[in-house]
Amino acid sequence: MAAIVRISSVCHRGVKPLFYRSSLLSRTLVAQQKDQDCPYPLTARIHGSSSLYAGSVSKAASLHWTGERVVSVLLLAMGPAAYYFPGPAVDYSLAAALTLHGHWGIGQVLTDYVHGEPKIKMVNAGLFLLSTVTFAGLCYFNYNDVGICKAVALLWSK
Amino acid sequence: MTFTRQGTCLFRPQFGILCRHAVPMGTTANEEMNTFWAKNNKLNRPMSPHLTIYKWSMPMMMSITHRGTGVGLSGGISAFALLALVLPGNYPYYLDLIHSLSVGPALLSLAKFGIAFPVSYHTLNGIRHLFWDSGKGFKIPEVYRSGYVVIVLSILTSIAAIAYM
Repeated sequence: MAAIVRISSVCHRGVKPLFYRSSLLSRTLVAQQKDQDCPYPLTARIHGSSSLYAGSVSKAASLHWTGERVVSVLLLAMGPAAYYFPGPAVDYSLAAALTLHGHWGIGQVLTDYVHGEPKIKMVNAGLFLLSTVTFAGLCYFNYNDVGICKAVALLWSK
Repeated sequence: MTFTRQGTCLFRPQFGILCRHAVPMGTTANEEMNTFWAKNNKLNRPMSPHLTIYKWSMPMMMSITHRGTGVGLSGGISAFALLALVLPGNYPYYLDLIHSLSVGPALLSLAKFGIAFPVSYHTLNGIRHLFWDSGKGFKIPEVYRSGYVVIVLSILTSIAAIAYM
């Protein structure tokens, strides 16, 4: 399932758009070779737009993507860490990584299914609240109770 | 993000050739998406059938299962955190409470599988995703093969986790 890439809403539009008469512009064109003047294939005339690209692009979306993968890998490493080195260090790291991974994950789900500017803002605010409470609860559990690693061990020994 | 679109070059209409030049667009992707949804919701347009008519494939099912297990696990963790904040007493107290219910080994194993399988599936399929992120494994036979590996390993590791303790 393809996910819509979230693009930062604070990115710039670098260059003022140049307007021809709008009826002349279309987004994709299928060119037809009516003419013998062009024997070479159409693909030869397709050029990347990078040389004509103007304006700066915010790297927020790209960095977010990378951050998601980094946290995923860290969380993966915490599995064996929790098994072989249970303790407060892993407990709090797990609390942070689990919360962040879940926050970003649910964020992608909401981006896919929720549309319309006010609704998007609302659900994202709700998610932020939920993630904050989740992290607080996990830290509270780590501090005042047995901690995540011990909790899993106890649960499984049932 | 700035987008460019290809336009018609009208300087030499007699050739009938379309030349390409890049013109920056006036709207962002977000704006275009919002416009699309606003217009279609306003016109009360029904959505075309998609999930009900398209043939389900194994990669499709694995993908939505990955999402489902992710949402489920995240919800479970949030619920656990909330209960930790709200409930009086500590964790061992509630564990003993559940112990005292004397549920029976079959149901116990089922419950453990209910926790172990989502964790195991989401983790293993997550690794599969990370391989895709590195650019590998997109050929269709590879997608199916890695998919079957994930499913089999998920079931095996879940059973191992239950049998282990």
